[in-house]
This record gives sequence, C-alpha cells and structure tokens, in this order.
Amino acid sequence: MSKSFAKIMLLIALAATILSACSPAGESSSRPTASASNNEITYATAKDINDMNPHLYTGSMPAQGMVYESLVENTSEGIKPLLASSWEISKDGKVYTFHLHQDVKFHDGEPFNAEAVKQNIDAVQHNAEKHSWIKLSTKIVECKVIDEHTVQLTLSEPYYPALAELSMTRPYVFLSPKDFKNGETMNGVNGYHGTGPYVLTAHEPEQYATFEANTDYWNGAPSIHKITAKVLPAGETTFLALQKGEVNFAFTDDRGADSMDVEAMKQLEASGDYQIVRSESMNTKMIVANSSRSGSPVHETAVRQALWHAVDRETISRDIMGGTETAANTLFSSNVNNADVPLETRSYDLAKAGSLLEQAGWKLDAGSGTRSKNGVPLSMSMYYDSNSSSQKIQAELIQSAAASIGIQLKLVGEESASIANRRTTGEYDLLFNQTWGLAYDPQSTISGFTSENAYLHTTQGIAQSGQLYEKINQVMVSSDEQKRKALYADILRTVHKEAVFIPLTNGNITVVAPSNLQHISFKQTQYELPFELMSFQ
Amino acid sequence: MGMYIIRRMLLAVPLLWAISLLTFILINLSPMDPAVVVLQAQGVPSITDELIERTQQQLGLDQPFLVRYLNWMLDCLQLDFGNSYITGQSVWALIGPAFLNTLRLTLVSAVSIIAVSVLLGVLCALQAGRVLDKSVRTLAFILTAIPSYGLAALLVWYFSVRLDLLPTSGMDSYRSYILPVLIITISYAGLYFRNVRSSMLSNMNKDYVLYGRASGLPERVITMHILRNSLQVAISIFCMAIPIILGSTVVVENVFAWPGLGSLSIRAILSRDFPVIQAYVLILAVSFVIFNAISDMINAAMNPKLRNGL
Amino acid sequence: MNVWKNSAMDKMGQLSLIVVVGVIIAGLSAPVLAPHDPLAVQMSLRYAEPSWEYLLGNDQLGRCILSRLLYGIRPSVLAVLVVLLLSVLIGAILGFLAGYFRGKTDTWIMRICDVVLSFPGYVMTLAMVGILGVGLENILIAFVLTKWAWFARVIRTSVLQYTEMDYIQFARTTGMGHGAIIRRHLIPVTFADIAVTASSSVGSMILQISGFSFLGLGIQAPQAEWGMMLNEAREVMFTRPEMMLPPAIAIVIVVSAFHFLADSLQVALDPRLRQSGLQPDRLPDQQEVAVRL
Repeated sequence: MSKSFAKIMLLIALAATILSACSPAGESSSRPTASASNNEITYATAKDINDMNPHLYTGSMPAQGMVYESLVENTSEGIKPLLASSWEISKDGKVYTFHLHQDVKFHDGEPFNAEAVKQNIDAVQHNAEKHSWIKLSTKIVECKVIDEHTVQLTLSEPYYPALAELSMTRPYVFLSPKDFKNGETMNGVNGYHGTGPYVLTAHEPEQYATFEANTDYWNGAPSIHKITAKVLPAGETTFLALQKGEVNFAFTDDRGADSMDVEAMKQLEASGDYQIVRSESMNTKMIVANSSRSGSPVHETAVRQALWHAVDRETISRDIMGGTETAANTLFSSNVNNADVPLETRSYDLAKAGSLLEQAGWKLDAGSGTRSKNGVPLSMSMYYDSNSSSQKIQAELIQSAAASIGIQLKLVGEESASIANRRTTGEYDLLFNQTWGLAYDPQSTISGFTSENAYLHTTQGIAQSGQLYEKINQVMVSSDEQKRKALYADILRTVHKEAVFIPLTNGNITVVAPSNLQHISFKQTQYELPFELMSFQ
Repeated sequence: MGMYIIRRMLLAVPLLWAISLLTFILINLSPMDPAVVVLQAQGVPSITDELIERTQQQLGLDQPFLVRYLNWMLDCLQLDFGNSYITGQSVWALIGPAFLNTLRLTLVSAVSIIAVSVLLGVLCALQAGRVLDKSVRTLAFILTAIPSYGLAALLVWYFSVRLDLLPTSGMDSYRSYILPVLIITISYAGLYFRNVRSSMLSNMNKDYVLYGRASGLPERVITMHILRNSLQVAISIFCMAIPIILGSTVVVENVFAWPGLGSLSIRAILSRDFPVIQAYVLILAVSFVIFNAISDMINAAMNPKLRNGL
Repeated sequence: MNVWKNSAMDKMGQLSLIVVVGVIIAGLSAPVLAPHDPLAVQMSLRYAEPSWEYLLGNDQLGRCILSRLLYGIRPSVLAVLVVLLLSVLIGAILGFLAGYFRGKTDTWIMRICDVVLSFPGYVMTLAMVGILGVGLENILIAFVLTKWAWFARVIRTSVLQYTEMDYIQFARTTGMGHGAIIRRHLIPVTFADIAVTASSSVGSMILQISGFSFLGLGIQAPQAEWGMMLNEAREVMFTRPEMMLPPAIAIVIVVSAFHFLADSLQVALDPRLRQSGLQPDRLPDQQEVAVRL
C-alpha cells in the first residue's frame, strides 16, 4: 500500500505542477481574438435583462436604453431634441408644447405620434405611486394632443428640471400603444416595441437576450447589427469568457458594480485584443447612513461624522480601485451644476474620529474594544452588493478602520435588488450606494431626499429635516437661477454637516471592448451606453 | 408487486404532508410581515398601519393558522406559488424552466455517474487489494476532497481557455454539458463506486458463488451472476443520486452560469425573495420523496425479498 | 478490540489521524500559533508575496494569510466537529431509546426520523439561511437539525443487532439494570459504528460549509474561513492564481485525511464484525447519502 501510494502521490504532484506551470499570463496569442466578431457585440451582464416594460423598474437600464427613447436627450451641452424635434415653454413655465419628429415608427410598425405620446404619459401617470421619486410625475396635470405631431404637457406649477426628467431612461419613454394591456402598462405589457435603434428579438430568461439593429431607425440604422446580452456571474467567469471571445464587451452595470477587478482588465488590455475606455467621473459612490433609525447609533450626527473620518479614501482610490477612480470628499463633485459649494473636508483621521465619539459620550469598553453609550453598543450593519467585489473589499477596509476606534460594523452582502428594497423601507444602518449620475445630479438626487423610494429615510432623521424639505421644494419650482444656486448651497451644506451621505470615490463607467471597436462614447447617465454610435474598424 | 407499489405510495403521502407543513411553518418564521413585503413589492411609497391591515385582510393573513395553511396548500397544488417579491413575475414561471434546466443536467450527470461508478466499482472489486484497486481508491479520496469550485475553475481554465475545446459557461449546446457533468461525476462517482465495489465483494463471498465454483461453473458465468446481483446497488444509487444532485448543483451552476434551480435559489436568498425560496424548498423536498419512492419500487421489483419490508 | 490501537489501523489511517489531531490542535491554539492578527489590515502589503514575516503572503487587504488559515480552522473544521458531536449525542440518545426499548418509543422516534430524512439536508440548510438570514450559525443549526436523524437510525440498527446477542440477553436475565446494560455492554460495541458513521460524514460537511461560504451564504466578513478565503481568491483567480492555493490545499488535506481515517476505521472494525458473524457491508440505503456542494 505505502509504496504504490507514494507513486500515486508523486504522479498527482507531477500533474499538478504541469498544470500550474502553464501560467495563464503568457498565453493569449493563440486565442481567436475578440475582434474577429462579425460586427456583433456580445456583452456580459450579471443579471438578466428582466422585464423590459419601460414604465416599471425591474428591467435592465442599458437594455431599455437601446430599445426605447424619450422626447428629449440630456447631453453635456444641455437638453437636445430626440423624439421631439423642438419645443416651446409657456411664459409661466407651466405648459410645454412638443413638436414631434415625423415618420418615426415603433418597431411593430405603429406610427409614433401625439396620440401615442399621450397614451404613454397617461399610462405612467396612472401608476403615480410608483413614480413618486421623479417629482415631475407629481406635477403633470394633463397631456393633450394638439395635432398629429404636436403634444402639450401641462404642469401644476413651474418645475425647472422638467425637461431633464423627461430625458431619463425611464419612465417617460415610449412603447407602442399596441403593446398596452387594456390601455395600461402597469399590469404588464404584450410586447416591447419602442422607437430606439435596437429591436429586442429574442430573450431566453437567465441566459441571453438579443437585440438587432432597427434598419428603419429614424436617425439612421446603427452600424453594429446585433447586440447580445449574455448572463454571466461577475468575476472570473466573465474574464474567461472575454479571454475566449464568448463575449467581447463588458461594462460597469447600472448599480455601479464592475464585473471584473482592475488587474484582470489590465491583463485583457495587455493581450492586445481589448481596449479599456473610461468615462469621465459620472457619480459619487458613497455610504448612505439611515439617520431616521432611532434605535441605532447611526441616528447620531457625531457617529456619522466619525465614520466619515474613518474612511481612507486615498487608499480606496489608489489600491482598491487601482487609481481608476478619484477620492471624493463631497456628495457631488464640483463639476456638477450648482454643486460647487465650499465645504469642510473631512479627511481620514482616526484620532479626530475617536475624539468626536468621545465627546458625544461613546466610551470605549476595554473588554470588547467596542464603544457604548447608556448600554447601547456602537454597532451598525452595513450592506453591500454581493456582486461587487470592490464594495466588499472597501467595506472590509472601513470595517477594520472603524474597529480600531471602537465602532463595530457588521457586513452583509446582498443582491442589489434587496439593497434597493432596504433603502425604500429604511431597514438598514448603512448601505453602499451612488448618486444618480450627471444627468440626474444634483436636481433628481436631491429630489430623492424627499422620496421614500430614494433617500427619505436617510435624511428624515436629521435635526432640520423639515427646513431641508422645504428648501428642496422651493429649489425645484424656482425660476431664478441665483436663488436656486443659493438654495442648493444651503441644502448641500446641511447634508454635509449632518454627514448622512459619506462619499467614497467619484465613480465612472468602465468599458472593456474589442480593440478595433471605435466611437465608444458615453451618455450623461451611467445607466446606458450609446451602442448605436459604435462601429468596428 | 402491485400491492407493494400502492403501499409505498401511501407511505409517501404522510411524508409529503409533513413536508408541506414544515415548509409553511418555516416561511411563517420569517421575520418580515408578508403584508409589508407585498406592499413594498408594489412600490407603495408610504406604508401605513391601516394599509397593512387592509392588505392582511386581502391576503387572508388575519385568518387562523390552519385556514391559511389549507389555502396555501390548495394554491400550491395548482402550482400557484404567488409572485416574486423582486420581479413581480409568478414564481412558477421563474422556477419551472429553471427546474427543467437543472433536471436535464441532473439526469445526464446521473447516467455518467452510474457508468463511471459501475466501471470503477467492478474493476476494483475484481482487482481487490491489488495496485489498481488501491490507486483508484486513493485517487478517489483525494479527488472527492477537492472543493468542486476549485476543480471547476481548474478544468474550465484548462479545457476551455488553454485548449479552447469547450465553452466556459452557459447552456448553449451539448458541449456546455461536458464540464459541469464531469465535475458532478467526479464528486459523486468517487463516493458511489465504493458502494458498487463493496456490494460486488460481499456477493463474491456469498454461498451461491462458492457453490457455483464448487460445481465447476465457468468463472465467466459466476462473474455475470455477481454482476447482476451487484447491479441492483447501482440502480438504487442511480435513483438516490437524482434528487441529491438536483439540489446540490448550486456551486456548479454558479460557476458555469447554468440557468437552473441552484442559481435561482442563491439569488432568491441573497435578495430575500421569500416566495421563491419557499417554492424552491417545497419542490425539491417533494421531488426528493418522489424519487426515493421510485427508487424503492425499482429495488423491490428487482429484489422480491424487500417487498416484505413494508 | 480497541480501534484506537495503532495496530488495528493501516499506515494511511495513522497518518490521517495525526493530520486530523494536528489540525484540531492548531485550530484550538490559533492565537498562540498565528504569527499575526488575522484581522489586521495593512493595505501597503496588498497581495504581497510570501516573505519570512508573512510565510504565505498577504491577501487583498494585506492580512496575513497564514494567520487567517490557522484561525479559519475554527469555523471550517472545529465548528463541524462540534455540530457532529451534538448530532451524534442527540442521535445516540434517541437511537438507544428506540433500539433498546422497542415498541411505541421506537415507532415514534423512527417516524420522526423518516420525516427529517425525507427533507433533504441541503434544502433544509438553504431554507434556514433563506429565512433566518445569511450566516454560519444558521447553517450549523440546520446541520444539527438534519444530521441527528441519520445517527439515530444507524445507532438504533446497531443497538438492535447487539441486544439480540446472547451475552446481553444473559445480562438481562441476571437482573442487570437497563442503564448498566447500556453503559457496560452496548455503548462500547456500538461506539465503533458511531465512529465510522461520524468520521465518514465529516469530509462532506466540511466541503458543504466551505461551499456555502463560497456562495456568500456562510460566515460574514471579516472572520476568516477557508471557503470565504477561496471566494475572495476567486475574484483574482486568473491574475493571481496563487491566492487560491493555501485555502484549497488546506481543504483538500483535511478532507482527504478524514476520508482516509473513515476508511481505515471501517477496515479496522471489519474483522471484529466478521468474527461476530454479522454482515460486514452496510446496505446502501442505510448509508448516509453524502451531498456534494
């Protein structure tokens, strides 16, 4: 037994050495390259595209962005025409008249006209509760058909972000009225025919979805003729599939989770088959603190401020994000409209954090190493997206720093849907989140402070929340640019002082694409990519 | 035999009932109020106590436990497991296709497991105590000690990336089956071939073999007899393996992005989608009982002695 | 007679026993053996190569891998052993009651066992985790809840066999008390069966625990656990494959050691079983069906 066994062990050891000797690094030359892809893009996605109904919120936004379009488009130069070629706003700021593009058709051949716009907007308004986070939905009084290609939207009061909110990926986008169920979309739809550059042609749930170029697209047929969204769990599976060319495209998902770590991307780039394209900073990744949770230490401003000081943003940016994202010290970076407000920088300073806690009466208990006050331990739960490896590492880094000053953080990894649900119900102390992106910042993210499905629980518990909400309401209806600026500054100062949004880094979208793919650009939103502009060399 | 089948099926009924009760109790242990969860899923912005009460009435949650249980069971019998909290789709629409995908993987794996187990088991039994027997057994011990995700990673990297022979993930063609089936086979055949081996060995020492040898039957005929008797073990392994694999493909599905029950259940757990978790538990437990019953029946058909056990 | 005597076990079994005992001791004395604090984050050492100070290198947060490996023995191996002990204890008590007293007690206990066993263990575990939330404790509770029934059944069968034997019947007629019979005659002989059954399920339980942690359902950060360490290494599997090795090798060594140990125990026990004229092979339906995650 022992002799033959020794032989076997030797054999196994040999086999293992041979296997491991073939280091994965130096072996990309023989591979069929990703670029040899018949004018098709197959992208990896961690989640299924799900329900493509554009008037609800479970679908994948990048996929919806390909199929559906809005009246206007938010670009870096401001609001531009899309399905509406021009528009007028009445003097009192309440009536918007849109002149629609003619000869636009839905994918099922139905004409896109004023009647279709009215039906879509009415369908959205009938489900108002769902859309309360987008304040425009609470201000629309009526949608009226003027003629075949003119439609009029009446608001209850002037609302300056109206056009910006109409430009969003959802819900004010247009689905063929033929797909409606009994004139509504809130109880499901019969088909997914939009007006966009791509047509959804096949969907195998949890496996893939294919989108083919809309040859009749009113703005000219796109060059890439087929796009496939393939469901792959994040991480090494995506990396292998990219390396092998089973998928040839990957990008940061709509929850800000990257499918691969920075080094894996670098390795793909080094192979020569892929290029990495990064957008400018689009949003701020942050930890959201639930100020309204009265039983938890997170209710206290001093605790939140101490936690702010316990985040080593430089290390996160340099080591965890590999230098791809910059450290963020405020909720919005200064290039965001109206957000260039001077605010105190709370740097990484554990001594300061400790003394803040000490002053607030949180005393260190020598035995457990955790602080407590009146018998309540300084312990909080922090939720992160289990699909995002970088969030987990950041969470552990913060956890470790916090532990050293006597704050105990319990980490829980969950699916992004569950985290969004927690944000709505307020069942959290701390959770990872991000601002909504250039097209939405600051106005929509700030409106979100007052909405239950967004940041109501986050902001509700601060001392001056009533005043804060009053200011938010004022800023949205104010037509005076200077006044708005002052109000925004006030709002940002309040939430900064209260430390309910603890910024981490300025996030961007990272695209891994075949090296011969050209014209990769980004929109103002982190939720979609302009595939229709891309083409192969 | 007919009587046996009827008795065996009757035996499964109280089990199924106990399972359904246990599942129902489990779900009622959940710390969340179902009414609140349903309201959240509908995206109702402000949930008032009054609204909760009204929803509880609508959902029948104010009724006594037994009534709720009966209603729930009636729904389940019609494959109505409610709607997912996350996507709002009906749970059956989610679980049905996933169940089929996992079942496919399971059946192919089971066939492969039985082939490998019988082959190795018979070989080792015939060579018992010699080098081949010992090396296969040693290798099996070590192979079954490797966590399946480690094994999966290694094989994917070698066969799919380096040799470029097989797809890395997904469920596109028969080639997609090879790696997942291989990994499941290694995990289980490494355990099951020992059952075949020991059953062969014990048959070899039985009286009929001694008698056959003594009366000068050719060795080949004796081996065939032993094989036939040992095959019974193989069949029962086959039947036992199916429900076990059905529920334990979680890791393999996770690594290979297989759109099956395993992936679905993990996602449901990590997004606290209780109706899906509940349906998953119920469906797997029921298929476990059914496959076990089938396995007993097949065994009884082959070995009449077992029929008296009931 | 004495299984633990080295002469009864082959070399592989002895070696495995040494490995198992060594790992248990290492896990218990992790605070003494570990060169560093397993939770000490040091980003400057992120993914550092092995050095004299950090023998196995550092992980994604610059923590000492060797220390984490040592501390990881606790949830990965020791917790499993504790769960096993608990299940064996419950199973043994009920198994003895059922097998020794027979009659109604037996019927009821066995019916309950049937129900528990018809509820597959992994589904039970997933259900517990799904409903009570992610975490190691819930997995361990689920393990105890499902494992005891196996032991109860195996022990009952074994007790049944022995109670029929002459010397026990003799002890009964001499008026020896039930307790004394169980203590003096039954526990020693059935102990062998318990040891074999228990040791053969340790391996699959260790793999299951690490599998659950790998899927993100088990232990939560920052605690070290082997499955969790593998999960973390998985993120960088193709850029830093060496990160997989320490936890993977640790699992393979410990699990194979348990496999070999179980096998040797069974072989060591075989002659005794044969001498007593009993069937040496357990029927497959009496054997626990191992679940591989």
